[in-house]
Amino acid sequence: MGANPVSIKRGPCGVSLVRSHDHWAGRFAAMACPCDVLIEGGPQAQAKRMVDAIAECAWRIERKFSRYRPGSVVHYINDTAGTVVTVDDETANLLDFAATLTNLSQGRFDITSGTLRRAWTFDGGDRVPTQEQIDALLPLVGWHAVQWTRPVLRLRPGMQIDLGGIGKEYAVDAAAAIANTVAPGVSCLVNFGGDVAVVNARSDGQPWRVGIEKPDRLGTPAHVVQLYRGGIATSGDSRRFVLSGGQRYSHILDARTGWPVRNAPHSVTVTAETCTQAGSVTTLAMLQGENADAFLKSSGMDYWLQ
Amino acid sequence: MKETENFQTTLAAAACALLGTTLATRAAADEADKRWAFDSSLLYYGESDDRVQDISAMLSAQRSFGDERTLAATLTADTLTGASASGAIALDTPQTFTSPSGRAVYTTQPGDVPLDDTFLDTRFALNASWTQPLARLYTLSAGLGFSTEYDYTHLGANLSLARDFNKRNTTLSASVAWSQDDVDPVGGAPRPLSQMLDVGNSANKLGSDSKDVLDLLVGLTQVLGRNTVLRVNYSYSDSNGYLNDPYKILSVVDPISGDTVTRVPVGEGPTGVYVYESRPDSRTKQSLNAEVKHAFGARVLHVAYRFMTDDWGIDSSTAEARVRWPIGADSYIEPQLRYYTQNEADFYRASLVNGQALPQYASADFRLGDFDATTVGVKFGHRTASGNEWSTRVEYYQQSGQVPGDQIIGNQARREQYPDLRAVVVQFGYRFGL
Amino acid sequence: MKAVHLLVLGLSLAGCATVQPWERDVLARPEMSLDANPLDAAIDDHIYFSKEGSSGGRGFGGGGCGCN
Repeated sequence: MGANPVSIKRGPCGVSLVRSHDHWAGRFAAMACPCDVLIEGGPQAQAKRMVDAIAECAWRIERKFSRYRPGSVVHYINDTAGTVVTVDDETANLLDFAATLTNLSQGRFDITSGTLRRAWTFDGGDRVPTQEQIDALLPLVGWHAVQWTRPVLRLRPGMQIDLGGIGKEYAVDAAAAIANTVAPGVSCLVNFGGDVAVVNARSDGQPWRVGIEKPDRLGTPAHVVQLYRGGIATSGDSRRFVLSGGQRYSHILDARTGWPVRNAPHSVTVTAETCTQAGSVTTLAMLQGENADAFLKSSGMDYWLQ
Repeated sequence: MKETENFQTTLAAAACALLGTTLATRAAADEADKRWAFDSSLLYYGESDDRVQDISAMLSAQRSFGDERTLAATLTADTLTGASASGAIALDTPQTFTSPSGRAVYTTQPGDVPLDDTFLDTRFALNASWTQPLARLYTLSAGLGFSTEYDYTHLGANLSLARDFNKRNTTLSASVAWSQDDVDPVGGAPRPLSQMLDVGNSANKLGSDSKDVLDLLVGLTQVLGRNTVLRVNYSYSDSNGYLNDPYKILSVVDPISGDTVTRVPVGEGPTGVYVYESRPDSRTKQSLNAEVKHAFGARVLHVAYRFMTDDWGIDSSTAEARVRWPIGADSYIEPQLRYYTQNEADFYRASLVNGQALPQYASADFRLGDFDATTVGVKFGHRTASGNEWSTRVEYYQQSGQVPGDQIIGNQARREQYPDLRAVVVQFGYRFGL
Repeated sequence: MKAVHLLVLGLSLAGCATVQPWERDVLARPEMSLDANPLDAAIDDHIYFSKEGSSGGRGFGGGGCGCN
């Protein structure tokens, strides 16, 4: 099989490092997905420093922005909804970015749409909420209802924010940037469950080759992207959906209506300068539903639809 | 497109603010953007002893449309000058021949193997193909080809279907190609086995003629391991129509001396009895071709073997090997070796014997003879910072043949009947994307 | 089609391990493609077609010419 393990190191939190024929492969788990780091050449000690720094970065961001973790900023904001909260620079940056996406998507994308989760459980089951249930939740959804003047935030009581839509891609870019400070110029590919970033191109002139899975045949790459530098992100419905009356309701909810987007593509993959930009475009594209293709065309980005 | 720019700028600026970095703009070296791939080549081919020289330029362009759909086109232009052996035998005396146009003569010195009258020919060729996935695991490819030169026009089409199996470890393919070629020789196509006539006499010259070729190919590509891939092709080819070389002749020789029967021309014309060659009007070829590529770390070895047999009695074997050896991160050197051997066609004749009945088919064209050929070459390539590649290739080709012993008559034995062909090939290539 | 499947299966089993899609890093390198240098191949095919009695074997894409 694949790599010849020249050396396997298991750190205290489950970071492994393995030597493949011309690169190092680090692996750990974060943000509920397998995280891979591929590093072009260099000594093992350097690879270890890079992977450790990337893992630390991923775990830090997860601890800080996960809505599940009691110590996280998001958890605190949601718990104290209705009161004034002063946030730090990093959180403020994320909120500003989310606001930009809300504008760019005319309100379809909204980090306050998490409240709608009370009506929808996307577990492959068939429970579809009624319009009354949705209507009851809509007053608690919408960035327009949030008071945000950096660095001060005030949600309406009962509102919730969820940075899950942008958090992972942000973490990928942040981790890739950290790796570049730990080992400047070394080519490293960061992959958190399909969200990828490369800051420095490989020194041998070859691209990193990334296989994109086909949603109906998980495990078989349908498409290979040659990535010299930049980011890749994929949005899809392959794992989270509700099946009811023959209709597949994707887990992507249109914040304006409270209903899932209709006829969204099975999956969208976009490449851009950063993983954050790529992820934003995939998310915004999925939110366009059947107009995803037209939206992607007008975005000017390179994309693959399935 | 303003909308697009606004969207991109807004998003880029927002990401910039979020990540606190200066991000590269879309324009900066993003090779993943390059959808057009070009490959160009300039070639010089030169044979020793003032024989053929050829300069050719090729440009190929390939455009991917995502989803593995590809359009490819190649344009070729080449200029051929020089002469090749006409098929007549060398003598101890000068020989004069009528040139193909029928309007002039040319003379060969004693001891020299007669070469065609020197000519200049320019050829243009265009090939285009379209490839696309037909369904999951199926790929379809269709192509058209066209070429034109002074005395020859070619039109062809091909279709190919491939199917992947076994997680794309195995690919089976079937292809068919058909072509129609029109031959319009200078001075007209001569009636086969008719005598070369004096200047101005075109009694035995017919007009133009044509041939068509059908090719079938079945191929299997198999991944043998992480570092190895194998391809085996079986092909069948059927040509029908005018298969002669209109400029090739045979000397008619005296049965004892082996020297060409002399002739006195009326005005200007041939000083010997020469007869135009005759080949069958159909040819069926079959070949089996196997090639393997194996990676030894960064080095790649490529070996290939082909066996061909046809109904003209020619069997040939070809063996090739190349090793691509990286030098540093950006360059490579690739030595190449090729060995080829074939035996003569059933109707190959070094010369025809005066007084004997004319055979149905006869040709003295060395390309249908019994010979070995070796190519030694080396290629050097370098990739630039922008991802483009320069390359240079130099090859030396030598062909050594022999006339079958039972076809050497009298004085022919003490002369060079089958001169070696020696050629040098120099090629410059540049591969770039846009 | 069934006969084809059997033939292909037989060949695949004949000592070839199945390489998984994620193990195709080496095979994906451009120089490992069997058609890595189409112009070189076309040039060689053309030269040998005009100087020898055999032709092709690798595939199509070339044109005819008056050289043989």
